Amino acid sequence: MSSKEQFNQISPSEFFYRNRDLAGFSNPTRSLYTAVREFVENSLDACDHSGILPNIHMIIKAVDPDKPDPKQYILTVKDNGPGIPSKHVPLAFGTVLYGSKFGLKQARGMFGLGATMAILYGQITTNKPVKVKSNDDGKTRYEFEMLLDIQKNKPVLLKKEEKPSSEQGLSVSICLDGDYSKAGTKIRDYVYQTSLITPYATITFDDPKGEKFNHKAIIRTMPPAPTIIAPHPYGIDVETIRRMLVDTHYQIPNVDAKMIEKIRKELGMSKKKFNYNDIMKKAEKKWKSLTRPVRVVIALMSFLEADFEKLQRVRIEDVDLRNNKLVYWDYSTSETIAVDMETENPYYKQLANTVQGESLTHFLTKRFQRVGPTAATEFCKFAKFKPETRVGNMSDQELVKLSDALQTYEGFRSPDPTCLAPLGESPLEKGIERRFEPDFMAVVQRTASAYSGFPFVIEMGIAYGGNIKSNGLKVFRFANRIPLLYDEGSDVVLKVVNDTDWGRYKVKSDSASMVIVSHICSTRVPYKTVGKENVADRPEIEKELRLALQFLSRKLSSYMSKKGQAEMAKKRANLYSKYLPLIAQFCTELAGKKKEPSYQKMLKEENAIAEKTE
Amino acid sequence: MQLQKKQNKASKDKSKDLVDILKKHGAQVYEDLENGQFPKISIPNRSISNIIYDKKLRQYILGSGTALRSSKNTAQLRSFTQLVWLAFFANKLTQQKKSSTLRDVYYSSQAFAIDFEDQSESDNIIVDLEAVLTKPREEFYVFPEERSSIFGDLTIEYTIPGYEGKKMNLSDHPDGYAIGPSLTSSQLVDTSAELVIAIEKGGLFTRFIEEKVDKKFKSIILNTGGQAPRSTRTLLKRLHDEMGLPVVILTDGDVYGEHIAMVIKSGSANAAHLRELTVPDAKWMGVWATDIDKYKLPTIPMTESDIKRCYDLQKDPRYQEGIWKKELEVFLKIKRKAELEAFSKYGLTNITDKYLPQKLELAKSL
Repeated sequence: MSSKEQFNQISPSEFFYRNRDLAGFSNPTRSLYTAVREFVENSLDACDHSGILPNIHMIIKAVDPDKPDPKQYILTVKDNGPGIPSKHVPLAFGTVLYGSKFGLKQARGMFGLGATMAILYGQITTNKPVKVKSNDDGKTRYEFEMLLDIQKNKPVLLKKEEKPSSEQGLSVSICLDGDYSKAGTKIRDYVYQTSLITPYATITFDDPKGEKFNHKAIIRTMPPAPTIIAPHPYGIDVETIRRMLVDTHYQIPNVDAKMIEKIRKELGMSKKKFNYNDIMKKAEKKWKSLTRPVRVVIALMSFLEADFEKLQRVRIEDVDLRNNKLVYWDYSTSETIAVDMETENPYYKQLANTVQGESLTHFLTKRFQRVGPTAATEFCKFAKFKPETRVGNMSDQELVKLSDALQTYEGFRSPDPTCLAPLGESPLEKGIERRFEPDFMAVVQRTASAYSGFPFVIEMGIAYGGNIKSNGLKVFRFANRIPLLYDEGSDVVLKVVNDTDWGRYKVKSDSASMVIVSHICSTRVPYKTVGKENVADRPEIEKELRLALQFLSRKLSSYMSKKGQAEMAKKRANLYSKYLPLIAQFCTELAGKKKEPSYQKMLKEENAIAEKTE
Repeated sequence: MQLQKKQNKASKDKSKDLVDILKKHGAQVYEDLENGQFPKISIPNRSISNIIYDKKLRQYILGSGTALRSSKNTAQLRSFTQLVWLAFFANKLTQQKKSSTLRDVYYSSQAFAIDFEDQSESDNIIVDLEAVLTKPREEFYVFPEERSSIFGDLTIEYTIPGYEGKKMNLSDHPDGYAIGPSLTSSQLVDTSAELVIAIEKGGLFTRFIEEKVDKKFKSIILNTGGQAPRSTRTLLKRLHDEMGLPVVILTDGDVYGEHIAMVIKSGSANAAHLRELTVPDAKWMGVWATDIDKYKLPTIPMTESDIKRCYDLQKDPRYQEGIWKKELEVFLKIKRKAELEAFSKYGLTNITDKYLPQKLELAKSL
């Protein structure tokens, strides 16, 4: 690298503009499909989080229908969601990386940049503004037209209007280069599969050729909305623990006027008597009721024998517990001074605890979900840590040991799935039943698990026979209620399905009409690309998928063998009905008899057996 | 005349025997059904493990192994029905004296909703019935398609409907007579011949007639047309047993020729379930491997499959002694073979003028 090289900061908009392939906007076909996804998913997320049964209407229209593809299309997605307050609209749609999706709870989108990317792409290819209509109170509809300033990552407002309207919801409309003749199949598949995994939503789609696709809601109840929560010990790594430790390190409070006032109030002292000796006396009496920062400041005062005036002149450099020295910098004299700390001093413990951080058990119970005092103590025994070990004092080796132990200890309860929004067995079952009308189906929702501290839940359904159109096994992959359509080959679900020996379950997978619906719910689905089309094969996820599939396959297997038995009995009965009369006819003549033998009773018995088995 | 009546009676008995056995089986099936039982039939096991060589009978026979075919077993139900149908059909043929072929049987089945998938399936059922009855299919009037032929002074009397009592001498037509159902089922009345010469090839058969071998050697000439069909073997047996004629066999000088002679003499493993197809006293008089050198015959090299066949036959218990063993060894040594026509090198009549008399003389001492 030459020394003359210039280092320029670029705005997030510009970064994504330059790297739009990553986000799935590589060509007109893929871009049209990605744009559809981003808008529909945003609408569904918005409805989900507000507890509104989604009703989404999507329209794709060619600007000039007679032109050959690729050409300009107008994509409009309209929902009945909560809308966006008018003051947020320009920022939400006019900047990249603006959004509310950075917490630990499940949502379809990850960063909230997809919709903006679509707008950006539309603007690049057609130079037309985005039109946003938002109504968040059921009274007024705000209509915006704007462009994106790519270099500054700022919206440029072209038009803003207000109109009275009682229909709450959001409508976004962009003009973009697209290729519907190529993307159409995927888009229709996407709409269809979305309705499968969102059976409580009504989704309608008017395609550019004038066809209307209407997927009505099958159920009228929504799965519970997810909440934000702490991480689970399973699958957390050293780096994450280290970051959490930084948060737990108790800071030496800054002594400013505000703090002084806080101390005075907690001690319940008047301003007059607020001097060093009285403070010390009062603090001793009221120690138990004092808050932690106040205690720390009092302890410092005690060791330094300093009043507030002096305290504000120094900066604490180190609390050296090995040599029992308190080191500070005095601004007035510009020198470093070390004071001895007596370990018998009652304030010593307070100060020591502060810099050493929490005890291990405390750290575990407070910072992680699903860890109670008992579990924490048991874990310490298992990991051979003293429960009172201070996390702030742990060496790198100890941290690695802790991280390993957290992942191998089996006593923790399963991760709290309240931050997740799986569909639930019953809605999933209804969705599959209505869309495929199979002869047999089974669904399972695994208990929550975690990878790298992110909880996830696997839901899976299997359907066989009936009106399933496909010949052979068809896998529908979903993640956080999004259908995954591209890059099937490298997906972990496909890997697990392909590893299955279907013969063991009495299924001919290449000829049977069979459907597997797999749904991975997680606060962070480990996608392989920003395009969000295939899930990486994390061992924890792979294991859960495998267990879910095995459970369902066993159910299918027992159905198949029952079905096999019934078919067998029926086949037997049919064969007897066909051949016994013939045998009777021939042997009658052979034996030289006139009347046929009475074999009808035998046929009746066989038919009865067949009916019983069914 | 006495003899003739006896024979007539014997033939009728045979037919009656067969009809009786069929009826007995039919009655058993009927009774089972009447009692609400699934009928079953025991069939001698024809697999290789159950085929053994009987030294006394000098032929292959089936061991004691049997397989039960049950109508309860759905895997056997179809073939069981087919077998009962065939018994029913055979009964009809025998009573009406109507001949049919394997192929006829296959097509006839279709009138009764007995679905044979192909002819080989129906052929198999026919062999099953043969095994159950221990009678060759010719007895229930199913005849092979292959025709071999016969010529010589032999008077026969037809028994087939429309020709009953009609007599015929088999030297009247110089092309010979086809060995068909009417001939096989006819009475053998009279002959002046003292010998039967069975020959493998039609061309030589015609030559033998032209050269009046029948008169010169007081013989009946029979063309086997390659491997002798079972009706032909039955006729040979009758000529030997009923008319007291010795049988000699003339084949190509190769391993297949040797085996054609062996099958006439002691039957084939395929027909181990049948007992009346062999002529144990029949003699193979050539062309031997040793004749090739002796008569300086033009030869062709043996193919790999010829050689393999030699090794296979060496394992057969019937090839463990006498000329059978010796000639096989010589074939393997010289790895060459000679056809009957090879004698033509020395003139078309060389075979009848020179070779045949010498070999016939030799055969007496075999």
